[in-house]
Amino acid sequence: MSRVLVVDDEPGLRKVVRDGLERAGHEVETAVDGEEALGFLAERDFDLVVTDLTMPRKGGLELVREIRRSSPVPILVLTVRHEEREKVRLLDAGADDYVTKPFGIEELLARVRALLRRRGSGHAPPSELRWGGIVVDFEARTVEKKGKSVHLTPTEFALLAKLAEKPGAVWTHRQLLSAVWGTTAGVTNDTLRVHMGSLRRKLEEDPDRPRFIRTEPWVGYRFTPED
Amino acid sequence: MIKALRGRWVGYPGAVVLVLVTIGILKFFPGLADSSVALLLLLSVFLSAWIWQSGPGAFAAVLATLGFNFFFLPPVYTFTVEDPRNVVALAVFLVCGLMIGRLSALARRRLRLVEAERADLAAMTRLSQAFLSDTNRESLLGIAADRLRDALGARHVSILLADDQQKLAPAASTSQTEIRRDLADLTYRQGNSAAFPSELEGTDIYLPIPIGVQRAGVLVARGFQASEGLAEGCAVLLGLALERERFVRLARAAEQTRASDQMKSTLLAAIAHDLKTPVATARGAIENWAAEAGGSEKARLALDQLGALTRTIGELMEVVRLDAGIARPHREIVSGAEIVEAAVARFGDALARHSLFVEAASGDATVEVDPAQITEALGHGLENAARYSAPGGEIHVSANAEGDAVFLRVADRGSGVPPAERERVFERFVRLAPAEGIPGTGLGLSIARSLVEMNGGSLRLLEAPEGGTLFEIRLPRAIQAGDLAAPRTSSP
Repeated sequence: MSRVLVVDDEPGLRKVVRDGLERAGHEVETAVDGEEALGFLAERDFDLVVTDLTMPRKGGLELVREIRRSSPVPILVLTVRHEEREKVRLLDAGADDYVTKPFGIEELLARVRALLRRRGSGHAPPSELRWGGIVVDFEARTVEKKGKSVHLTPTEFALLAKLAEKPGAVWTHRQLLSAVWGTTAGVTNDTLRVHMGSLRRKLEEDPDRPRFIRTEPWVGYRFTPED
Repeated sequence: MIKALRGRWVGYPGAVVLVLVTIGILKFFPGLADSSVALLLLLSVFLSAWIWQSGPGAFAAVLATLGFNFFFLPPVYTFTVEDPRNVVALAVFLVCGLMIGRLSALARRRLRLVEAERADLAAMTRLSQAFLSDTNRESLLGIAADRLRDALGARHVSILLADDQQKLAPAASTSQTEIRRDLADLTYRQGNSAAFPSELEGTDIYLPIPIGVQRAGVLVARGFQASEGLAEGCAVLLGLALERERFVRLARAAEQTRASDQMKSTLLAAIAHDLKTPVATARGAIENWAAEAGGSEKARLALDQLGALTRTIGELMEVVRLDAGIARPHREIVSGAEIVEAAVARFGDALARHSLFVEAASGDATVEVDPAQITEALGHGLENAARYSAPGGEIHVSANAEGDAVFLRVADRGSGVPPAERERVFERFVRLAPAEGIPGTGLGLSIARSLVEMNGGSLRLLEAPEGGTLFEIRLPRAIQAGDLAAPRTSSP
């Protein structure tokens, strides 16, 4: 059982999220805005924070920044459409994931499960990863698909290793570019897209409808090996 | 008093009186030496020339020479000269008198010119201060005519301004008077001023009012006394004041638009929030309830309906945002392939029952657009293709550079849209007959076209090569560094 803090100024949405999380077996506290949330966080430890983006006193972005000054607790943000720049800002500020309103409760619970699982597994990168007929050995740097060896270029392997650090999480373009190329100067999002495309062609069943390496439009990529 | 003495007809008699009075006073003190007498008489010549200028000055010099000879050189009271040395003295006296008269008159005239220029400058300064303190067109023109009349010392001032059709119309005047419209029109068209003696005394002048290389209108001054230079300066000042007033007006309007856009944007965000939140809450509540009750067909139906309601609210809000003019594009350079990838990722669920083919070449197909807006526009194309073609059918999405344009296309194998209807479907709420029973608001294509046009592109429907509908977005290709000819090192 995990302890989750839900921060939202809408009473109805607060109740719905709380009910959903309690149904999934979590212990839930609620706060009406960022100020109150920081008060709760100062008093006791939480395993996860779920926060709305726009709130009257201290919104989601500010809350993420303040939490990140002192705590690595996973943060999930409830955002809206038309706000891709805001999503990138949130992730770069240290938020772990977001769901876009209107979201389904099951979608929210799936994201919560992924975040809590990562928290449980610690930060050590896995030495081996298996999903959907694919086996990746990070120490030997080999990839097999349905028993056959697949050759990845060094860049493709570096991208896959970065994605595999946090299964289920979103990586912004900037985060991936600086992790794999060491810089964001001179490499464009389109370069990243080309390498992701060839990685998909080697690993996905249908590269036009990727299931494991998903595009988050104008934000980045999400690695979802469990789906 | 000095001014009264300087009257036009006072000069010569004045000079005579001044010289005679001096001689009288000198005769009253008979002990004075001849040299002192000569110097004091020269003083009277100097004063005459200073007060009444050249003519009376020269006249005074001749009169003083004769008086000097007649009253003071022996034999006294005759015009004969006894001592031949005195003939030389008399000649020198005459020359000195004439030169003093000439020089003092010249100095006097220069001083008057400088004073007049200073007065013009002061008048211009006062005028510009008055013009600058006024930023309202009506009140600016209201006081401008009066102030210009005062500055120019004119009987009458009129300001004629050109309208949009380049026709002059009276904008302000100090009083009712005859103005030669033909001359005003000529001045306005040719940009040259016209000046001629006035029947009201002084000068009548028609001056173009310059605004940059253009002209705003014509300034007419009748019976004015000041210099033409001052009049031209006034016309320039008036042009500047009018131009400034226009800029102030434009800046105010821009500020108001910005403030009102900000307000609209905030208001619409609040409305969207208030519309969407209850729906989102209801959806979550039903999901929770259905999960606890073990799921049901009724819950699924409610969720489907709420999903449709959410979409409708979204599209209506999008239309309102577009109409309010606040959905301004935030442009970035992106590739057509990125847009296709984003649209397929976002709207892909709608295509789950179709075979999807993505053909997006990377590299040169780049555009400078708001990525989210064009993604949404292309998404409407994908959704339409999924709705109006049979499940299992092929849908082809592509991005290509052709010449100076980039094309984003969605082709389906559906029944297509008849040529006669291909423009009508972009109108709001227009849905074709086969669309009955298929969910939709009839807003999607209209929104898509607005979004594309806002980003400098065009959107149309065509017939796909394999039958069916071809949804085609055309965007101007972005110019990138790589497009410019790269310098090459010449090989020997």
